[in-house]
Parts: sequence; structure tokens; C-alpha cells
Amino acid sequence: MNLGPLIFLAAFFGLAWSWFGMVLTPQIQIGRLQQTNTVPAGATYPVGRPGLARQGLAVYRANGCAYCHSQQVVQTGTVCDVVLTDAGTNHAGLLVALRKLRPALSEAEDEQLMTGLPKTIRERLTKDEADPMVKTLTSAGAKATTWIVPVGPDIARGWGTRRTVAEDFLFDYPVMPGSQRVGPDLANVGLRLPDAKWQLRHLYAPRSEVKGSTMPPYRFLFEKRRIEHTRSSDALSLPSDLAPEAGFEILPKPEAVALVAYLASLRADAPLFVAPLSVAEPVTTSTNNAATNQTTAASSGATNAPAK
Amino acid sequence: MISEPNASTTQAGQATLPTRRAPVPIWLIILLFLLLYWGMVYFDQRSGWFDERVYFPYHSYSQLEQWQPATGAPNMVQQGRAVYNKPTCVACHQADGNGLPGQNPPLAGSEWVNEKAPGRVIRIALNGLSGPITVKGLPFNGAMVPWKDVLSDEEIAAVLTYVRQNKEWGNNAPEVTPEQVKAVRAKIKDRSTPFSPDELKQIPPTD
Repeated sequence: MNLGPLIFLAAFFGLAWSWFGMVLTPQIQIGRLQQTNTVPAGATYPVGRPGLARQGLAVYRANGCAYCHSQQVVQTGTVCDVVLTDAGTNHAGLLVALRKLRPALSEAEDEQLMTGLPKTIRERLTKDEADPMVKTLTSAGAKATTWIVPVGPDIARGWGTRRTVAEDFLFDYPVMPGSQRVGPDLANVGLRLPDAKWQLRHLYAPRSEVKGSTMPPYRFLFEKRRIEHTRSSDALSLPSDLAPEAGFEILPKPEAVALVAYLASLRADAPLFVAPLSVAEPVTTSTNNAATNQTTAASSGATNAPAK
Repeated sequence: MISEPNASTTQAGQATLPTRRAPVPIWLIILLFLLLYWGMVYFDQRSGWFDERVYFPYHSYSQLEQWQPATGAPNMVQQGRAVYNKPTCVACHQADGNGLPGQNPPLAGSEWVNEKAPGRVIRIALNGLSGPITVKGLPFNGAMVPWKDVLSDEEIAAVLTYVRQNKEWGNNAPEVTPEQVKAVRAKIKDRSTPFSPDELKQIPPTD
């Protein structure tokens, strides 16, 4: 019984099928992915990581950070908030509209809703529920918007303000989304933990910063140096049980500095067409640095809720 | 498939293992069909018809469009910046609006750009410009290409608004509306040649 051709065909089609599914289809789908614009501000996204952060990516890769940390925020749904931005002049009409939306509220509380705008009138609605409410408010002469808020367990933890999409990795090579969550997700770590000194201390001695952390210390990214004249401003300020003996200081090597720069560049908050999200309007309306302002404006609230 | 129920020997006479056939258990078939069904439901829920723009939790492109944040009125300045850098104007007038000395006149601080009424700049943007012109005291003698076939009324209005209201360039002039561009376009629809600066000076800017 000669099974050679059958085995060949089975192997051939098995491999061809996986190639089609795992190489060709993704290539057709996102192989030509390009920079896109944030919505609605229209700032270019993503802009490449700064040079130091790019070196940090290599350090991140070399130390296998991706084995324990993922960089993908999971979003399970989207909800809407109805936000009143401007009360207008027809206060009596607006009161009637507000009472329609919030029947449980007393008159005084309604009055209060109309001061200190913008204010969230109703939360966690579907789009179909929220849009008519906005219409009710606008027809009363007020200005209101539907605020889009992504939801999910990761977003509740502050690991991002929206789901991760392919554009987020556009300038990264290799892409390291990770598959294990031995440690927390790092997609948004630049916003969650922006303090570079904290990051360095945490790399040097994770348990000094996070109780019960299972992360190994990366002390080989640091060096102990004798203090020649004055203490370096870059030296780590460590608790007494970790601090080196008198006359010495712990300094981060360039690798550690680059890694921290890379971590600072990780943020999952740009509102994109493929991942809709309402963010606060940039406060400054200067035309030319709107592109850089956009990201800072988006970072103003970790939960991305409008000011209440 | 090979149908030799008890092939103890092959044609060559070599011994092989006897093959036995057992019927596939019915529960396995049912399980496979259930898996197939679940797979189809999963695909239907999450594939977004394999549109690369549709990520879960969105199920289709049209749903994604519905979920976009309300933009309110379109921002002419931002729209205009996009048109300017398309590239259209930026190729000659440069990103900083200063043009190239001796070749392309500046837009930043230009008295032509900052005219209160936009009649002349709309004409320049629509039909282009050729002939000697003085901008900020410096002579230029180049040619600007017409944009009327390339850019829509909205785009021309947006880009002119962006240029005229660009405070970083030292410009501060009223915005240009698509209606104004439309009106001017209708007035000069039979003209195909670029304007000359002298000719433009004859036209009142409010026209």
C-alpha cells in the first residue's frame, strides 16, 4: 500500500491552508497598514517612537519582558454617557427635558445639574438609548453630546482607554504583544506609571515598590559606582536595606534608561476610527501643535470620563 | 480511500500491520457538527466580514461608523491643515508658510492673504496666478497652478481659512466659507487662464 502521494497531499494542503490563514490573509488585511488620523482631532497616529524608546524596545526584547507582560488591551463593549455641555438660555425647557431623562431627581438636584458644566446626565447607556436623550436636550436649546466610553475588565483596571489595534504597533519591530500576563499588561504603562524614577527603582528592586511582586530584579541594568565628588542626580534613591554602602551610588546603565523611555512611550489612548472613543477637547486651540496636544489631552483622565 | 479490510500482505509480499475499521461513534459526529456551528457563530459575531477596520466589540463597518464620537461642526482649520499638507500648497509655500525666497512668495504675513475680504485669494486658489507680484516688499515672478479641478469648494474654503487664520504665521483674517468659494467659482467659471496680479487689483476684494 503506497501512501506516499496521500501523505504528500495531506501535508501540502495542511501547510498551504495554514499559510493562507496565518500569513496571506493577515498580509492582505493589514500588510499595507499606514499611519492614520485620530478622530475627530485629525492628528497623525502613530508617530514613531523617539530614538531612545526604540533602543528601549531592543532592551525590552532582549530581556524577554514580553514573556510575562502583554501589550494588548481587551475591550468587551462600548457604552455611552449623555453629557450636557451648555445649558443654553431656555432653562425652563431644559428642566422639563432633564426631568424626562432623570425622573427620580428632585427639582433642586436638576437645578444643580445645570451648573458647573459639562456634566454627565446619564451613564452607561447604549447608543440607541443615548442619542434620543441628546436630541431631547438639544431641542430644549441646550448643547449635549453622546460620550463614547469603551468598557472591559482591562479598561476598568486602567490598562488602557480603548482596545489595542494593529496601528498601535505600526513602527515596532518585532511586534511584541505578548501572550502571558504573569505581570500586568503594559500597553498603557506610559500613562499609568509616568514617573521614570519609579520605573528605575522598580526595575532595580521590584518588591521595594510593589509588595509581593513576582518580577525578578534587573540589577544588571544598573551599576554601583563610587561617589567621587557629589552624588549624581541620576542615582537611585533606595530604601536603606537596598541602598549601597556609604560612598557608593546606584546608577542606571544606558539600557535601563532606554527601557524606561520605551515604557514611557507605551500608551493606549489615541481615539481612532477603528476604536471610537470620546476624549476631552484640547484646551489650547493652537493650530500647529494640535498634533502633540492631542495625546496629552487624551491622557488627562485615565478613565476618560468627562469632568464631573 | 484505500479499501483493503485486512491487508496482511502487500503486492510486494511485505508484512504490514493489519488494519481494522471501526465505525465513527455518533457522539463524535454530533460534537463535530456542534463545533462547526459554534465556529460559524463565532465568525459571524467577530469577523466583521474580515474587514481589517472592524475590531471586536464592533461587528460591522456600519456599526463602527455609528459609534464615532460626534464631531459637531467640522473644524475648518484642522481640515485646512490636512488639505495644505496633502501635499498641495506645502510643496511651494512650505510648511512654515514662508515660501522660497526669490521663487515662491510667502503666505505668512502676506498682505494678499490678510485682505479682509477673500475675493482675490479665492480667485488665486481657484485659477492660479502668473505674472510679477510684490509680496511683503519683495518681487516674485512665478506661476501658481490652478486648483479648481483638484479641490472642492469646501477644501478651498478650509485651506484658505487655515492660511488666513494661522496666528503662528502672523496671519489674522476672517474665515472663508464654502459659499463664498462657490459664488466666486460661479463668477469665473468660463475662465481657464490664471489671473495676473495687476488684473486682480482691478477686482474689488469683496467681489
